[in-house]
Formats: sequence, C-alpha cells, structure tokens
Amino acid sequence: MKPILELRNLKMYYDTQAGQVKAADDVSFVLNEGESIGLVGESGCGKTSVSMSIMKLLPENGRIISGNIFFDGKDIVNFSDEEMNKIRWAGIAMIFQAAMNSLNPVYRVGDQIVEAITAHEPNVTFEEARQRVANLYKLVGLDPERMDNYPHEYSGGMKQRAIIAMSLACNPKLIIADEPTTALDVIVQDTILRELEKVQKKLNMSMIYISHDIAVIAEVASRIAIMYAGKIVEMSDSVVIFKRPAHPYAIGLMSSFPSIRGEKKELVTIPGEPPNLLNAPDHCRFAPRCPFATDECWKQTPSYSEIESNHFVACFHPQNLKKLVNMNA
Amino acid sequence: MMLKYIGNRILQIAILLVIYVAIVFFLLHAMPGGIKTLLISNPKLTPQAQEAIIRAFGLNQPLWLQFVDYMKNVFTLNLGISFSYYPTPVWNIIAERLPRTVLLFTVATLIAFFVGFASGKSLAWNRGKTTEYVSTVVGIITYTIFTPLLIFVVIWFFGSFLGIFPLNQFLNPDLWIHTRLNAQIIFLYILMTMVIIGAVMLASYTIALRFSHKVITRRMIFYLSSIISVIFSIFFWWVSPVGIYAADILWHMVLPVMTVTIISYAGTMLVMRDSMLETIKEDFITTARAKGLPDKVVRDKHAARTAMLPVVTNFVLSLGFVVSGGVITETLFSWPGMGMTLLDSTLAKDYPLAAGALIFTGIFVLIAHLVVDIVYAFLDPRIRY
Repeated sequence: MKPILELRNLKMYYDTQAGQVKAADDVSFVLNEGESIGLVGESGCGKTSVSMSIMKLLPENGRIISGNIFFDGKDIVNFSDEEMNKIRWAGIAMIFQAAMNSLNPVYRVGDQIVEAITAHEPNVTFEEARQRVANLYKLVGLDPERMDNYPHEYSGGMKQRAIIAMSLACNPKLIIADEPTTALDVIVQDTILRELEKVQKKLNMSMIYISHDIAVIAEVASRIAIMYAGKIVEMSDSVVIFKRPAHPYAIGLMSSFPSIRGEKKELVTIPGEPPNLLNAPDHCRFAPRCPFATDECWKQTPSYSEIESNHFVACFHPQNLKKLVNMNA
Repeated sequence: MMLKYIGNRILQIAILLVIYVAIVFFLLHAMPGGIKTLLISNPKLTPQAQEAIIRAFGLNQPLWLQFVDYMKNVFTLNLGISFSYYPTPVWNIIAERLPRTVLLFTVATLIAFFVGFASGKSLAWNRGKTTEYVSTVVGIITYTIFTPLLIFVVIWFFGSFLGIFPLNQFLNPDLWIHTRLNAQIIFLYILMTMVIIGAVMLASYTIALRFSHKVITRRMIFYLSSIISVIFSIFFWWVSPVGIYAADILWHMVLPVMTVTIISYAGTMLVMRDSMLETIKEDFITTARAKGLPDKVVRDKHAARTAMLPVVTNFVLSLGFVVSGGVITETLFSWPGMGMTLLDSTLAKDYPLAAGALIFTGIFVLIAHLVVDIVYAFLDPRIRY
C-alpha cells in the first residue's frame, strides 16, 4: 500500500501572550491510500490543530515549528499559499466541525459547491459542474432540487450532508472529517457515518476521522490514534485498541463508556484533568493522572515505540489489560 | 411576496408621513415668537389691518381648526406661499432647490459609502499593520471633527490658499449672465444622466449575473458597459451647448462633496471594519479558504459580501445625518439647497417655506428607508417578506 499522508514529528505551537501553547508535539503517523484512521482525544488535546496543520489553515499566531507533512510524496510544510490552494480541496478536503456555520448564508448551497469545482477545474462549465453537484447530492442522499436553496432553508442533517457532498466535489485523495457528526442526534449521526464510509470505500479515498467519541470512530476507522495533550499516546488497529489498550490513558478511555453487550461494569473515570498545554511539562504529560507513574515518568517524555507489530505506544509502562483485570478481581 | 411587502411598506410610510406632517405643524407652532406676533408686529399697521391679516390667515380660529386646515392643504399638495419670497409659491422654491441638494448629497453619500466600504474591508483584512492604526485614528478624527471647522479649513486651503476651487455658491455668475438658461434644468439633466448611468450599471450587472457564470466575463460585461455609458454621457455633454454650464456646476460641487465625504466615510469604514473582523472569524470563511479559493475571492466574495449587511443599516442611519449635516454644509458653502432653505426660512419665520422644507426632508428620508429595505432584501436571502 502506498502512503498518501505522512506526518513526521510535527510540532505546531501557538504563540500567545502568556507563552507558547504546544498544541501538537511530535505527532507522527502514516496514512495509506484508501485507508481510514481515527484521531481520538478529549477537547483541547490538539486534534483540530493537527488537521488544520495538514490543511495549513492555521491562525496567525499558530505556526509549524518543525517536522514534515508529506502529502502524495511532497513535503507541504514549506508550501506557499498559492501552492497550498492547489492542494486544498482538490487533494485534501475537509468536513468541518461546525457544519451549521460552514456554509455561507448569502449564497445558494449548490453554488458554493460549484464554486469549489470551478476553482480547481477551470475548464469545467457551469452546467457540467451543476450536474456533478446533482450527482453528489444523490450520493449523499439529498434531493438535487434543493441545490438552489440557501443554507438557512436546510435542516442540520441536510447541511451536514451538503458539506459531505461539498468535500467530495473535487474527488480529493484525502478527506479530513473533523467531528463530522457532533452536532447531530444519534440516529442521524449513524446514518451519516455509514454513508460516509460507503462513499469512502466506493471512491477509494483516505479518511481521517477526528472525534472525542471513540465509539463513533470505532465504527468507521480501521486504525485509531489516541491523542492526549498534544501527543499521540497510542496507535493501532481499532480492534487492538479496543481489545488490548496499552497506554494507561487509553485504558481509561476504554473503561469510561458502557458496553451494550457483556456484563455491566462500573464506569471508570480518570481522576484529574489534562495539563495546560501552555508551557507544557518535559515529563510524560499523563504522569500526574497516571496510576502507574514512577519516578522515570516524572523525569522525561516516553518515546513513541512499537510494542507489538503495528501497535505504537508512548509509555514507559505499557499495560496488559488482561493482567489488570485479573489483578482487580 | 416582494410586491406585497413593498405595498405594505408604502402604506406604513404613508402613515408615518401623516404623523410626521402633524409633528411639523406643532413644531412650528412651538417656535418662540409665534406667527401672530410676526404678522402684526409692524407698528404702522392699524388695528383694522391687523384684524384683517389675522382673519385672512385664519389665525382667529382655534388651533385644532388651523391644524385641520393645514393637514388638508398639505395633502391636497397646497403648501402655500412663501412669506420671504412673496408671492412665490413654496412649491416652486422647493422644486428649484431640491435637485441641488439631492445631487450634492447623493454624490457625496455614494462616494463616502464606497470609500468607507473599500477601506474598511482592507483594514480588517490587513489587521495589525501600521496602516490600520493610522487610518482608524484618522477616520475617528474626521468622523468626530466639528463640521464647520473642517469646512473652514477646506475652504481656506483649496479656495483661498491654493485657489483652485470656487469658494462658494453653486455657479459662476459671470458665466451664466450671458445665457437665459435656468440652472434648475441643468441640475435635472445632470441628475437624469446619473440615473441613466446607474440604471445601465444595474442592468448590465443583472444581465452579467444571468448569462455568465465566469467571474471574469461577468466583470468584463459590468465594467465595459459602465465605462461605455460614462464615456457616452461625457461625450453627450461635451457636444451639447449646455455642457459648459454643467461643468461649472460640477466644478462648484467638488469642495462640498469632498467635505461631506470626509465627514461621513469614516462611519461606514469603522462599521465595515468591525463587521468584517467578526465575519472573518466565521466558519464559512475557513471553509472558503479550505476550498483553496484565492485570497481575493475569500475576501471579496465571502467575507465582504456577508460583512456588508450591517454596513447597509448604518448607511440608512447616516441618511438622517445627511439631511441635518446638510444644513451646516450648505450654509457654509452658500449652496442654496434644502438645508440652507430650512435654516433661512426658520430664521426669517417664513412658516410655509419652513414647513415645506421639513416635509420634503421627511419624504426624502422615508423614501431612502424604503429603498434600503428593498435593497436589503436582495442582499440577504435570509430576509424574506
């Protein structure tokens, strides 16, 4: 399999008056063609900062300090805005966190999608572009007649579908879906996720799902990366992450939501709160909340290493869940 | 839908106009001195003559009857005869002066609006640069400056020190003395030319929007037809025998237009800047950027277009200022329009003329509000009537 996106030790910091906020610190992962991965973590852990770094749509005070982002074999970190504009949407499209506000209220929804097409393919006529948008509408389950409506005439779910249609407009190789369904109710959420997955498989695109909801991600992503305080702490196949989480934070996450099948268990919460990323500490960032922390954890940052094939963990004391359960029992 | 809305608005405006006209009556009656004392204050009048005047003007009737008469007259379009220009009817005076004010202030307001819009847009887009601070401070100064002071400085600098623009009045008497031409006609012609150019621009914009989906072609159609219509009208005035008189009037307009622009552009600029800064933070701007649209398209098509909605509201509010500011501007530039008429007639206790001037000012503001309401409906699709 050919990698489509590779992040290598990406560091993205925000300069604030109070100091540097290390929103993404040493983030590395590889995404292959046609593959979908999930990026999970609680609010403020740097998920969106990572996705915005890939699109290079950082606010003025945010900058990429070091590291590489390879998209389609090219390092885009030093690309100019003009060069990026060619990659944006045509190469990497995005489904935004707030679909409600992602459409311009004063233009027709169809026209906003047509705009994306004609911006990247100047030879496409307006009628052809409209035809394509109509097909996309059918693909995501929208009535093509609604193309000429304004965003305020759409319901929340319809807007989300329109946004998905828009992300597909230029046949991108990669789609970053940043909390694609957070604003929707559970039933619509599920339908939309399934549709996204279907389309992704059909068009053989790569996807990055970003969410704080690991259950949502598990449904659609083949691999999962768990982020904590600006770092990826664990990454592996979805099944492995669910069956044998090794990082204490991942274990905590897994035990913090109920399972439908299986016995009823007390939900475990992780005590404490995530560290302030402003002037983040040099030691393991999870150490203050970690039941397994030792002196080592308070001295240096654990390296991100492979504990078994395709299972990466950044921890000095990767745990074995089975052993733990036995211990508790 | 739209027509029904416009019909409703016109009805509302009619009601507002009746209320306004009534207020004008009581406002004039509340003026110190009173109309009675004014008419009979001449000591040479005999008591019989005084009595006759009072009866002739109906001033012996109770106030409510006078009010009914006044309302009846206004709405049968009888504004009476001016005291100070006796026996010229108020209608004639207003018909002569209204075009002067409308020309001066539409030109100035439009220029101020576009200058403010464009500068506010680029200020927000280039946030944090020195130019932003400088223009914001300059804008606040010109916005809050004492208007007469600014006018004196402008007149002194351009009219006296540089001597390149006329000091006052709206035409050069030496030029006009040899002609039997009425300046009113020229004003009307100039206004007509502006309306035609505006209509051509609007029509070409609509046509471009309908028949092309390429931004470049649209722009070409719009700019070409605008430039052609402007060149054509300049040519028309050039060959016409009255062109030189129109040029003379326009020449006299430069300073007042410049002053009004300086005073009022900053309001639009500051509101546009704020609105634009808010809009830039919106998610759909991030979407537009993520779509890989060029910077200029994101700025103009997505940010500025959406940010201009509150600016249009501000524009309506500033129309009231145009009328009141007009009194000072017109008086100091000796521009005999509605503002100066209002001041002079009030000072001269010329009740019919003052009433006429106030009523027309009101009609002007109400119509402007109506126009802006309709424009707003076109600008913001979320507003449907």
